[in-house]
Amino acid sequence: MAGRAPIATKSSALIAMIADEDTVTGFLLAGVGNVDLRRKTNYLIVDSKTTVKAIEDAFKEFTTREDIAIVLISQYVANMIRFLVDSYNMAVPAILEIPSKDHPYDPAHDSVLSRVKYLFSAESVASGRR
Amino acid sequence: MKISMAEEEAAAVHGNGDSDEKVLEFLDSLEGYLTLMESLASTLRQGWFELASARHSMGVSRVSSASLDLKDHLASTYLEMTQHEFDESIMRQPQFSLRKWASFENGICSSGEEKPDSPQLRQRCPSQISENQEDLSKSDGSHTTVDDLVKKERSKSLSVFGTLVSPKLRAAQASFETALDILVEVANLRSSMLSARNQVQRGIEETRK
Repeated sequence: MAGRAPIATKSSALIAMIADEDTVTGFLLAGVGNVDLRRKTNYLIVDSKTTVKAIEDAFKEFTTREDIAIVLISQYVANMIRFLVDSYNMAVPAILEIPSKDHPYDPAHDSVLSRVKYLFSAESVASGRR
Repeated sequence: MKISMAEEEAAAVHGNGDSDEKVLEFLDSLEGYLTLMESLASTLRQGWFELASARHSMGVSRVSSASLDLKDHLASTYLEMTQHEFDESIMRQPQFSLRKWASFENGICSSGEEKPDSPQLRQRCPSQISENQEDLSKSDGSHTTVDDLVKKERSKSLSVFGTLVSPKLRAAQASFETALDILVEVANLRSSMLSARNQVQRGIEETRK
């Protein structure tokens, strides 16, 4: 095992989106939209009528699909399913929280930054120096 | 005895140096992540503004989710993901790269082993795509370049909103393409940040033992 060269595997994958209409439309203009033979899309447009359950179902679907590598989710939508987003800890697909028109990006709510900020707590630093 | 103690101290100092390096790597990734998120926000704001301008000139009904193509089609822009497996104890660190406008007509191969219900992406064949490019340049004598094919794919994406589109819609398309580039960088930084965090955490745990 020692000195073994790292193995690299390459694969193609999609970008999924859970966001407001303008954000999804913009990224579809950039060519990321995919509709399969069963009419399943790689995006969910969230508006005032979208239920929390629909968002949860879409999040669970996109994070379990093998052909999706990145899930873009508007941060205000992620806040609606915060428990689900924060409990997700897989490397792939990567969950990226993005700003929306009416809700600017807030680093305090970002799930990735929440996972690493404990490293800056006094207790973790002090325990490392003992 | 004294020599072994000195060796242990030297190893401890060297170990602390390695830990500091990992912490610095982690902090660099964190700074890069926050800077890129700021840049992304700015690019998206521009894209939303251009989209709103296009909607104003073309009409609300033309630039809306109602116009979106719901017939089955492959994504023209997708990711190529490389996963490095160092060893079983270290989380795999994926690296992403963006392939823009890569879904050329007749440039898609399907695996004979693929099941109809499989969620796997239909495989793209780079060699088949390059062969098609050669065929295009030879068949009718005209010089069709990759740029022409990319322009064709961009136009195809815009045509969902009608034959004649506002220049603002083209500008919005460019802005969101830039946003995708930034997002892929963010994803890579996220990957290295989480990897660095794991290494720092492991270092802390080993120090506690």
